[in-house]
Formats: sequence, C-alpha cells, structure tokens
Amino acid sequence: MAMSRLRRREALWFYVFVSPWVIGFLAFLLGPMISSIYFSMTDWDSFTPPKWVGLDNYTKLLTEDPVFWKALGNTLFYSAVSVPLGLLVGLWLANLLNKQVRARKLFRTLIYLPTLVPLVAASLAFRVVLAPSGPLNDVLGWVGIKGPQWLLDPSWVKYALILLSVWGAGSATVLLLAAMKGIPRELYEAAEIDGAGPVRQFWSITVPQLTPVIFFNLVMGLIAAFQVFSQVYILMPKASQPGTYNASQTMVPYLFDQAFSYYHMGYASAISWLLFAVILVFTLVAFRTTRRWVFYETEVK
Amino acid sequence: MATLAPTVAPPQGGQVGKDEEPPGGTTRVLGVFKATPFTYATLIIVSAVLSVPLVFAVSIALSTDHTVTTNGFTIFPSEFEWRNFTRVFDGDLPMGRFLVNSLIISLGSVIGQMVSSGLVGYAFARLRAPGKNVMFLVVIATMMIPTQITMIPQFILFKDLGWVNTYLPLIVPNFFSNAFNVFLVRQFVSRMPSELDEAAMVDGLGFFGIYRRIMLPMLWPVLIAIGIFTLTYNWGDFMGPLIYLNDESKMPLALGVQYITTTAVAGQPPPWNLVMVGSILLTLPMIAVYYLGQRYLYEMDISGGSAGVK
Repeated sequence: MAMSRLRRREALWFYVFVSPWVIGFLAFLLGPMISSIYFSMTDWDSFTPPKWVGLDNYTKLLTEDPVFWKALGNTLFYSAVSVPLGLLVGLWLANLLNKQVRARKLFRTLIYLPTLVPLVAASLAFRVVLAPSGPLNDVLGWVGIKGPQWLLDPSWVKYALILLSVWGAGSATVLLLAAMKGIPRELYEAAEIDGAGPVRQFWSITVPQLTPVIFFNLVMGLIAAFQVFSQVYILMPKASQPGTYNASQTMVPYLFDQAFSYYHMGYASAISWLLFAVILVFTLVAFRTTRRWVFYETEVK
Repeated sequence: MATLAPTVAPPQGGQVGKDEEPPGGTTRVLGVFKATPFTYATLIIVSAVLSVPLVFAVSIALSTDHTVTTNGFTIFPSEFEWRNFTRVFDGDLPMGRFLVNSLIISLGSVIGQMVSSGLVGYAFARLRAPGKNVMFLVVIATMMIPTQITMIPQFILFKDLGWVNTYLPLIVPNFFSNAFNVFLVRQFVSRMPSELDEAAMVDGLGFFGIYRRIMLPMLWPVLIAIGIFTLTYNWGDFMGPLIYLNDESKMPLALGVQYITTTAVAGQPPPWNLVMVGSILLTLPMIAVYYLGQRYLYEMDISGGSAGVK
C-alpha cells in the first residue's frame, strides 16, 4: 500500500526528529553494550590488545573472588535494609504530617531538606557527623553508649551507609503524603462509624491504599541502592583504611576500582553484567509478587 | 491483609453526610486526622535529629583553622569565622573555578536535554511513521539498563576521541536525549488537543514549523521540569567527573570539594571548615532551584518521580 505524499513527508520528519535519540542509542547504549559483552570475555588493560578468555572472568568472579562475594553480600544487605526502612520511616512521617498539624509546612520542609542536599555534600557532612568523636557518638555518650567507629570498623560501615540513606527518607515522606491526600475521605468516615480506631484505620485503609506507590518506590529504590557509589567512595576513602577496605566493599565501587584503578577492563565489564543480572532478578521478583500485596482500586470495583 | 474497601458501599442517594456538613465549608476533623501531643513530640524530635548534620556542617564551616586542627567542633556554631566564605575564592583553593566548571557542565547538559528531548518526545507523540511503536518500546526498555554496563565502553570511546580530561564526555551525550525525558515530553504532548497542530497544518505550516511555532511555546512546563532534573543530576554528579576529569582546574564543585579532602598534608586533617563551605555552596543552588521550580514539578505531577532517586 503506497503512502500518500503527505504521510511520507510526515514519516520522514519523524525520523529527522527522533534522530538524536537514535544516534545516541546506537553510539552511547547499544554499541557500548555489545562491546561490553565482548570486553567481559577478554583480559584487557585498555592499552595493549585484548586477549580472549571466554567465560573465565565470570567463573573467576563467581568461584575464586572472595571480595566480589563480600561486595555482593554487602550491597544486598545495604539495599534490603535501607530501602524498606526508608519507606517505613517515610510512611510513619507522612502519616503524622497527614494529621491536622499546626506548622505542617515547617515540619515538611525540615524533613524534606536533607533530600535537597547533593549526595557529595551529604556524604562529607556524614563523615564528620560519624567521626569517632563526632556529634552522633557524643549523643550516644550522653545516654551511656560508647559509639562505634562507624567508618573504620567494617562491621559498622554498612550501618553508616544505611543511616545516610534513611536521613533522606523525606523524599518518600513527601510522595506518600501526596498519595495519602488522594485517599477518599468516605473510607475513613465509614471506618469511624464502624468503630475502627486510628491504628486499625492506618493498617486497613491507609496502607492498602498506598501499596501501589509503596511498590513503585520499593522497586526504584532497590535499583538505585544496588548502584550505590558516591557515598561509599566518600565515606571510606581507600587510603585511610587499606585493611578494612575490601571487607566493606560494595558492587559499583568494586567495579570502579577494577576498571579505573587497576585497569582490569574485562574483569570490570563482567562485574557490570553480574550487577545487571542481580537488578533484573530483583525487579522480576518484585513484579511477580505484586498481585499478592499490591492493592489496585480497579480490582474491587 | 484485610482491607475495608469491599465493605464500603458507595454513597447512598440521600447523601446524608453532605447535608450535615457545617456551613462555611469546614468539615469535622476525623479521629485519624487529629493531632495529639505525641504527634507534635515525634515531629519535633525527628525534625531536630534530621537537622543535626546540617547544623553541624554550618558550625564547621564557621570554625577557625585552629579548631579544625584540634578537632574541637561543636554541634551548634560557637565561633563565627565568616572569612571562610571569602577565603575559598581568593586563597589557594580553586573553589571559584570549581563553581564555574559546575555551571558549564550543568548548563550545557540542560540545554542539550531540553533541545533534544523536546524534539524526540514531540515526534513520538504526534507524528506517524512505520516502526514508531517498536522504537518507542525500545526507548522504554533502555530505562532498564544500568549505566554501569555502558560506563567502560563509553570511557574507551571518549578516550579514543581524545575527550578525556575535557567537559565533552559529560555534556555531549545530553544532546542525544534520554529515555525518561522523552517519555515525559511524549506524555505531556499526548494530553494536548491535536486541533491546534491540525489547524496549523491546514494553514500550510510544515512539521518543523508546527513544532517551533505551535508546540514549543506550550512545552515550557515540561521542558523546565526536564531542565530541573538535568541540572540537579549534573550539578551533583560525582562519578562522571571522577572518571573523566583529572586536572583540578577542570573539576566541578561536587568532585572538587571531595578532592580537597584527599590533598591534605600527611598527618594533618583536611581543611574541614573550607570543605564544609564548599558543601554549602554545592547545596544552596539546589535548594534555590527546588523552591523556584516547585511549581513546574507539581504541575507535571512528577515532582517525586525521580527527585528522590539518586
């Protein structure tokens, strides 16, 4: 079927208009992805020609690299704790702000402010806050707790990263608060007539109504948490703790180190594909389980 | 989890509730929405705790060099060395240079995304062409790919082009749009009435003319939202500059301020007071952008969509 002249001209303009995206997609995404698959099967320092090693990088990572497993474990722990915790805190704060509170705007601003601080500035601030004699350990000292060496003790670094992450719970708070405002008032009126208290109403109305928003933020949050980098890089500078560095390693900083400190480009490329695999698996699992706990209005009506 | 929803009947014909509303439009506060002293106590404590890092950062920024070397910081400012805020510009610290670099990289990226995402998003929303739907599926699919996959090959590409240690690897890719922004523009344009472009077509305006004369003036809200996202991302980006920029004179503030902490003389603490001044200079524009741009973000109904994902 021949297209009319106008339709052909329209199609031509379409291709012209989307050409920036097409060129970018080929040059900065598809091309690099294909090269990355190839790189991941080579031994390559980026200066001398790459040497084909097949799947060696992958087997080495999965069977003989304890640092990789450590990094993977730390990343999973960090993501599995920080993201749900951030959402829980966000839910709790949003529920408080959703009440008839005086000076609500002020509280909302103070809670949201940390999320406007660029990650680099926040990480630098936390380096001093979490210093052995910093304010957090001071406060812990007042109540008789001897604060840990947050950033030097490998078993505590994870919690330092989680603290920094929960400090930014304001973004979840604001999102959930906006969603709460959209919950029909009649639901609460009916529940009150039925004699349900505020706690019961929170768990039986507010939370189920918010599950789509919670789900979306859980998935996006997990994807972002797996890729944690700047915080780790800034909170534990390599030079200051060579001994504990590997013990508190996470995936992307490990990848970065392999690529740009040791020039193991092939090995680092293999790490990036394993990271992708982990993210993919978690996203799929999240979507697979949605029917069980995410409540969509349309299913009831 | 039990939900009450199935037992809630739709409002009955008589609308009993409505009639009982007191005049003046004020409705009775339901039990769940009543604030108790406990509500206030919690909010006050949480706000105070969340503010500690910010207050402490300001306190350090106002400390003297002596306090830095003796590690004698206090949570609340106890000395007011305002001089620190001018020192970072006229001393050995290239903070002014860092700021200029940040501006070049961020504004270059903003222009790139606004120009390219507008064109691409409009085309996906309005123009018809074979293969369009498949292409749009690819656009959506690319959002799934983590940047780490393309990080190394891109570095090799830019190294071969001789672009390492220039701003180009950080700015140029933005001129090729990105999936999220294209999606935003497409959604925005789809919601606009198509009579306008049809009328323009009848008047003999070409496709580019329609875009430039009819569409572009109406796209501003979404383009400004994209500008804010791009600015926020690039202003705060740490990993990109860390990979591509080696010269101190080329670093943006986000990298430069961290870099200062690594250059301290052995045995000496980093100049924390000046580092915190840098961190404050890094933060203030973001607060300003947020408050000036809020309106556009809410208008887009996407305010939180990506703002929280770092």
